[in-house]
Amino acid sequence: MTTRAATLNQPGKKMKISTGKKKIGPGQIILLFFVLLFTVFCFAPVILVFVSAFTDEMWINQNGFSFFPGEWSMNGVNSVLRYGKQLLTSYGVTIFITVVGTLAGLLVMSMYAYSISRPGFKLARFLSIFLLIPMLFNGGQLAGYVVFTSWYGLKDSLVLLIVPLMVTTMNVIILRTYIANSIPGELMEAATIDGAGDYRTFFQITLPLLKPSLAAVGFMMATAYWNDWQNALIYISSNNKKPLQLLLINIQKSIEFLLNNNNVPAAARAAMGNTIPQYTSTMATVIVVIGPIMIVYPFFQKYFIKGLTVGSVKG
Amino acid sequence: MNDGFFKNTWKHRAHVVMALPAFLILLFIMYVPMSGLVMAFKNFDYSKGIFGSDWVGLGNFEFLIKSKDTFLNMTKNTVLYYLLFTVVGTVLNVTVAICIDQLAFKKMGKTMQTLMIIPVFISYAAVQFIVFAFIDSRTGLINHMLGTRTRFYSNAGYWPWILLIVKIWKDTGYGSVLYMSVLAGIDTALYEAADIDGANKWQQIKHITIPSLIPMITVMLLLSVGNVMRSDTGLFYQVTRNNGGLYSTTQVIDSYVLNQILHSSNFGYTAAASFFQSVTGLLLMLLANFTVRKIEPEGALF
Repeated sequence: MTTRAATLNQPGKKMKISTGKKKIGPGQIILLFFVLLFTVFCFAPVILVFVSAFTDEMWINQNGFSFFPGEWSMNGVNSVLRYGKQLLTSYGVTIFITVVGTLAGLLVMSMYAYSISRPGFKLARFLSIFLLIPMLFNGGQLAGYVVFTSWYGLKDSLVLLIVPLMVTTMNVIILRTYIANSIPGELMEAATIDGAGDYRTFFQITLPLLKPSLAAVGFMMATAYWNDWQNALIYISSNNKKPLQLLLINIQKSIEFLLNNNNVPAAARAAMGNTIPQYTSTMATVIVVIGPIMIVYPFFQKYFIKGLTVGSVKG
Repeated sequence: MNDGFFKNTWKHRAHVVMALPAFLILLFIMYVPMSGLVMAFKNFDYSKGIFGSDWVGLGNFEFLIKSKDTFLNMTKNTVLYYLLFTVVGTVLNVTVAICIDQLAFKKMGKTMQTLMIIPVFISYAAVQFIVFAFIDSRTGLINHMLGTRTRFYSNAGYWPWILLIVKIWKDTGYGSVLYMSVLAGIDTALYEAADIDGANKWQQIKHITIPSLIPMITVMLLLSVGNVMRSDTGLFYQVTRNNGGLYSTTQVIDSYVLNQILHSSNFGYTAAASFFQSVTGLLLMLLANFTVRKIEPEGALF
């Protein structure tokens, strides 16, 4: 563990040998070709979303989705406004649960991680085991659903979108590992000797030093909140509490309903098909949903990669 | 430090207070629902509640085993997809990590890695639209490129491959990060010494790179064993558009349970499946951890 953890702190070390004096042979070109190919495989579908959103609806209807459409159009993007108010509401809901859940989760998890890593705190052993058990054994989706709805009486409530994702064992372990390995215990001792109380030590010494780890865990939590569709699908029914992911699911269902339901008169269907740019507007909505993460991700990448690796190294 | 437990706890009362919020969340979100597993032995009635419902002993399980097709099929799918994804996933994660690590164009490698990771951040609710754009029978990119009209959404035989490709697309970039960090930690003196001894690139990869990845691979594999019965629900529920005609190759325990929660109120049978899932998961997890501890104590979870 120590070797792995120690070398992680010097990512630049390895780079030295490969760059510089070594000349680039044909092997390198072939390697580059394959890595490039895989990158295209991973990224091309994302490009297709963007291209499709700006393609003419009729053109897709006739020629299918394409990276090189014959006709471009802004109609799809414009008709996202068709979901106008709902889209705005859903955006608000998603941002709200993401921000509140991530910040609250980071606070309670880092307090827990801090407490269980205090030397001489006898209850810490119990608290660590209490933290680990849910990783081994849990009630599963169904038991959770029944308990939340019938015992806690929670239905159609944003609490169900926020609290269940707030504390995860893995994230607490990542924070605890960081506290144990990267924050010198002497600092906290010194603070106590200087007369700082336990709370003050945590908020003024530990928490600021925990920032890199908080950034990593926070980013992973934020994407989990942003992308959570399952809890929303199970629990949320009213429109003003619908997050973006549920909106996407509803759009898909209504399109499918239109296409498959024979009770809708053919004429009505045709008329709707013409006026509502289904394919293009859906893709435009997908952009709206995934866009913010793509924009934020590059800024958090280095933290998140570090966080991922620290988490794998148990403290 | 020789104080008694209560005295010690009182001395650390600030830490107890700080641990309390997360403790309560774990208690109410993770622990209390465990009691819901008794539903597996009851004829669950919403109006009577979990404990008020009548006991039926092993009735739900008998029913589960009798309705062989559904239960066996979803269990089989769950396990087979686990094996497929784990084997292919591990090989690809490691391969991609080694390729990027060996690349002399470091800057490009970094950029390509960034692009490869992006799909992991796209929710399955959005992914299913992307998959649709590729495989729809009328407007799908693939059918247009091949000049065919293959109806992927009504042919279960294609789905193991479709789901595998989607899974590779979504998770490989992210999965390789972990292995890359191990590679970054290999002492460069090893490669230099091998160079001097005249070892070529292949020999270096075979004798230095891969052996140094083995511990991490072992640990990751063994720890994943605890999740055999759990699946990436979004992949099986969203990407397939929850299409009943595809269940023979796409239904897993998690997607089955989700469907029951959404569309049924007769939970006894589902509770039995859920119970089976939780208990098997626990046993496999204990077994895996026990094995990891024997092989690589550092990697053990507890």
